[in-house]
Amino acid sequence: MLVQIAWRNIWRNKIRSLVIIIAVILGLWGGIFSDAFMQGMAEQQVYSSIHTETGHLQLNAPGFLLNHDMQLRIGDADSVVEQINRLPETEAAAATIQITAMASTASSSTGIIVNGIAPDTYAKVSDISKLMVNGDYFKNDRKNMVVVGQQLADKLRVKLHSRIVLTLQTVTGDIIYGAFKIEGIYRTHNSEFDKQMIYVQKDDLQSLVGFPSGAASLVRVLLQKDDDTKEVAEKLRSQFPAEQVQTWIELSPMQQVLSGTMTQMTIIFVGIILIALAFGIVNTMLMAVMDRTREIGMLLSIGMRPSKVFGMIVLETVFLSLTGAVVGILISIGTIYWFGKSGINLSMIAQGANAMGYNSVVYPTLGAGFYFQLAIMVVVVAIIAGLIPARRAIRLKPAEAVRGD
Amino acid sequence: MPVIEVKQLKKTYNETMVPVHALNGVDLTFEKGEFTAIVGPSGCGKTTLLNMMGGLDRPTSGIVTIENDDITNMKAGELVDFRLNNIGFIFQSYNLIPVLTVKENIEFIMELQHRNRKEMEDRVRYLLEVMGLSDKINVRPRYLSGGQQQRVAVARALASKPKFILADEPTANLDSKSTDILLDLMAELNQKENVTFVFSTHDQRVMDKARRIITLEDGKVISDIKQVKSNEARHS
Repeated sequence: MLVQIAWRNIWRNKIRSLVIIIAVILGLWGGIFSDAFMQGMAEQQVYSSIHTETGHLQLNAPGFLLNHDMQLRIGDADSVVEQINRLPETEAAAATIQITAMASTASSSTGIIVNGIAPDTYAKVSDISKLMVNGDYFKNDRKNMVVVGQQLADKLRVKLHSRIVLTLQTVTGDIIYGAFKIEGIYRTHNSEFDKQMIYVQKDDLQSLVGFPSGAASLVRVLLQKDDDTKEVAEKLRSQFPAEQVQTWIELSPMQQVLSGTMTQMTIIFVGIILIALAFGIVNTMLMAVMDRTREIGMLLSIGMRPSKVFGMIVLETVFLSLTGAVVGILISIGTIYWFGKSGINLSMIAQGANAMGYNSVVYPTLGAGFYFQLAIMVVVVAIIAGLIPARRAIRLKPAEAVRGD
Repeated sequence: MPVIEVKQLKKTYNETMVPVHALNGVDLTFEKGEFTAIVGPSGCGKTTLLNMMGGLDRPTSGIVTIENDDITNMKAGELVDFRLNNIGFIFQSYNLIPVLTVKENIEFIMELQHRNRKEMEDRVRYLLEVMGLSDKINVRPRYLSGGQQQRVAVARALASKPKFILADEPTANLDSKSTDILLDLMAELNQKENVTFVFSTHDQRVMDKARRIITLEDGKVISDIKQVKSNEARHS
């Protein structure tokens, strides 16, 4: 009957209970939704990073990434790609020549990284081909065509079909120039990436700098599932001991740190909200105990053990908090599902978001496990919040309390 | 053997600079089946005496024994269980649990005693029948008159089958008709169940029904009169 009494007691003063229940609903909804938003941003950043910048895995000659030295290369890259493609976890693999260069126009110049790619193969490991905002992604086979980022085009003040001159070093160390015509302009969520990376056909670059046929600076691998990354990395390390195999986490450690920090921040953020709510809950329950002094005095007088009175007050606090929490979590699940499908357009602040590597449309997301953790947190906070009013209740002297003194 | 025995009971409150002697050496015994009213002016110590007899407060000195159990020296936990199983309480303001129905209010104390469901239901049905409230079994207290609520409180006090019932000004909030009904019912139950009733009261009608009247003044018993049906009285 204690459970029954505790539940019914919540609804004795409907307005007072509803105020705190609504506070819990809004507090949790606000907390959960902001966390889902941040989590969505972090996950999209990781997704975009994998699908445009790094792939899940990358193989290159040890030391290559330090200064993009052309002498550090994978000799038989085509064979490596073929072997990787045979792994069941592999979605696609592509060999790329990567060289640092200077891009110039009549009015401006800047340092860039030239990616020599086989367009069709590369399209399987990178989303660049889907991110074209102007022109095409190597639609025809004409020589010396280049695809550049929107940010670089703006910096060099060039547009579609403009020509840029690339200054590169050949494998023998000579400086060479090549004129390339802009066939397409892409835009990713990461403006720094867009300023640096340009794409040309592998054959054009090979012949320009004298890069050996069949060789590549690196091999980029896209897997079917993110979770397979570590396992496949280990396989490739044993299969290609001469090459350096790096996962996307090792290539962009910041992404992992941000993603991990986001989870911790989520817990801390909601924890702070719950602590703030706990003060409101304590206040409501203290008022409830004061209002029911006579009744609690009667219960203690007729022989209800103080431990049971204590439990009843704590149970009421848990019910009060859980009612708000359940509704708050359900509303959160609904809104996260809705915006998870439609996305939240941040085009107003897209420039700032892109500069930080974030997408301008955010799809909030939150793991199911988090809701379970949250429910436990609510119960724990409610129990702690219930201790003060429960202690107040059992410290009442029955003889005085029963007369309302 | 007396049900309640009070020996040299003293209670001094030191809440202000001047100590207040609420009870000043009270000696009383109550036999099984008595129907007793404790009367006296406000502040004479009636409620304090009931609190001591009910184990709701500790005396400064003296002892209270219930069928040879000294409740003044019981541990707090023991005293709670003792009250549950031996003493019934009726309060001036009824003090029913508003979120429970009449039936649940009466059952509640039996649940604390861990009685079985059938026993509880039979007892509730019997008590409500005696109280004339069978039709209010599933009604919540706020839909009852003051007199009806106090009758439920009496049923609750009797539900646990206590050795005696302490009632602190039980008719103070009732009109005369409700008071008469309540007193008649309590008198009937006193006879039927042979339960000892001890009231504190200012109400002349309660005194008229009582078979023993104890008068307190300044924390002392100044008279203890047993009344017989023929209104003959004798001083003890």
